[in-house]
Amino acid sequence: MLMEPDGTGIWHRLIDDFQAQHPNVQVQLIEGPPATNTREDMYATSFLSGSGSYDIVYGDVIWTPKFAAAGWLLDLTERLSASDRQDFLTADLNAGFYEGRLYRIPAFSDAGTLYYRKDLVGAPPETFDELERLSEAYKTADRWGFLWQGKQYEGLVTVFLEILWGYGGDWINADTREVLLDRPEALQALQFLTRTVGTISPPAVTTYIEEDTRNLFQNGRAVFLRNWPYVWTLMADSPMRTEGRVGVAPVVHASGRTRAATAGGWGFAVSKYTKDPDAAWQFVEFLTRPEQLRKVQSRMGRIPARKSLVPPEFLPILQSARLRPLIPEYAQASDILQRWLSAALTGRAQPEHALQQAARETRLLLGGSGS
Amino acid sequence: MTDRKQMSLLWFVPAAVLLAVIVAYPLLRTLLLSFVRKSLATGFRAEFAGFDNFIRLAFDSRFWQCLRTTAFFTVVSVLAEFLIGLVLALSATSLSKFRSFTRVIFLVPWTLPTAVIAVLWAWIFNDQFGVLNAVLLRIGVLHSPVIWLGQPGPAISAIIVADVWKTAPFVFLILLAGLQNIPRDLYEAIEVDGGGAWQQFRFVTWPHLLPFVFVAVIFRVVQAFAIFDLVWVMTGGGPGGATETVSIYTYQTYMRYLDFGYGGALAMATVVILAITAACLHRLLLAKYEQNL
Repeated sequence: MLMEPDGTGIWHRLIDDFQAQHPNVQVQLIEGPPATNTREDMYATSFLSGSGSYDIVYGDVIWTPKFAAAGWLLDLTERLSASDRQDFLTADLNAGFYEGRLYRIPAFSDAGTLYYRKDLVGAPPETFDELERLSEAYKTADRWGFLWQGKQYEGLVTVFLEILWGYGGDWINADTREVLLDRPEALQALQFLTRTVGTISPPAVTTYIEEDTRNLFQNGRAVFLRNWPYVWTLMADSPMRTEGRVGVAPVVHASGRTRAATAGGWGFAVSKYTKDPDAAWQFVEFLTRPEQLRKVQSRMGRIPARKSLVPPEFLPILQSARLRPLIPEYAQASDILQRWLSAALTGRAQPEHALQQAARETRLLLGGSGS
Repeated sequence: MTDRKQMSLLWFVPAAVLLAVIVAYPLLRTLLLSFVRKSLATGFRAEFAGFDNFIRLAFDSRFWQCLRTTAFFTVVSVLAEFLIGLVLALSATSLSKFRSFTRVIFLVPWTLPTAVIAVLWAWIFNDQFGVLNAVLLRIGVLHSPVIWLGQPGPAISAIIVADVWKTAPFVFLILLAGLQNIPRDLYEAIEVDGGGAWQQFRFVTWPHLLPFVFVAVIFRVVQAFAIFDLVWVMTGGGPGGATETVSIYTYQTYMRYLDFGYGGALAMATVVILAITAACLHRLLLAKYEQNL
């Protein structure tokens, strides 16, 4: 199994526990580079060569369709028990399906979350208008209104999608493979995001990733922050949270529309090239049990993808989360969108032009006509 | 057929086999690949696609951006490498002492593996711990550290500096060999006619050096256009795709997007561009030299 560097040592401890119970199964953990993309490429290279280097895939929510479509993963549909099926969060479980079969068992869940300064604004905003108004009202010389992740990377796509869905639009319909980026809702969403740069959001927001924005927010430099649940764990000892100055809320939406946070998360899949599928499944089943997930939760702050284990303040957020399109060409489609969003946000392209271009390139990618 | 001709054909066989295996076969495979749709979406089965991949290429803004980046990188770095290499070669030829010592020293950067050099330069340009920022801050040129590899302009410049450092010695080596080939009496003839250093360079050195210039430039252009490892290690193509070269995009298309048909089209585009460039350089540098013979 290849995964992120085991900084806390928790994964090694879990493997030791597993081996104590199953002395005949050998588990080897390979600590890969911290960059998610690189690990995805490492898995792909190994599978392309048809070798069984990794028996178990610890994968991001967006890898499943690609790996499943390539025929690299074992079908786990029959192996998951009905009670587990009930307990896993809907979006997280659905993310593991490709063409009706289950390939990935969810472990940890993520969803876009809005953090707000309780001491300033009282109740969190519901709509984009309220967010803009409150940001304008409470921003000062050294406090910005709204922080989000604007660098050209996957994080930007997750931010944009929440706004796009909040305006009632969509990116790609996974079933019909229809591209909807040149619809008016998409333009409204991008115009909103472009408008915030330099007004309620710092100009450098177009270079920020999660940690840049968390640091600013935690130091009191912003009224609102769009980020993931991990921030709440990391702020556990910060005076901001202990003094009750920060609150957690679902992401905002346009009035008359419904909200949807972007779903993220990690889970386990089994390689088709594994020599011992039963042992591999035993290990996956072991890791995704509540006891093990709770241990990782307490050590790393990850939120388990089981309804029974989700902290109450995050349950409504995770349950309303929506998946990014489950298409095999996801990585490519995302790269197209990232490039054009970034071009529009940094003023290198007009929002309308950027979306038209992105739509055209995405259609060419998905095999439709370019017009 | 004469014996001699038969023998020469026989001698050609090993070279032909080698070329067929390492050049012709991959080239043909890639050419075929560029006319099919073969990707995840087709379940890795090849479907004939006609010119679809090339049409997509023509409208692919990312490809054009990569091409611009690659062309800019190639022109600037090869020009700089050539000028530095030429100056080094001219001065090394006129050296009377420590000749072999200087040659060895000049060649050191070229003998190091590119990935090692890339890591080395990435640390020099590091915004927090890099020696470049430390020096510039201390002598007062900068007031705050520059994020060299995190901004488009500085990032591509940093890659060019690293590439020039590594490969100027290669140009130096080729040109040095060329300079040593020039008969000394030609210089004496110019001196008798009252020509100075510039006339010597203009009428003797440069015309005789042209074939070597061609070899050095063509090697460098091809390598620079296909630049991968240096960029991959230093910036990974970032920030925001600003240093993404055609070969990095091709790699991503093959390995990350698993889109083999389109990857083939990208590779073919590179082949065609390089073939045209090589033909132009040949006309510009070598044809002229051959006319003068």
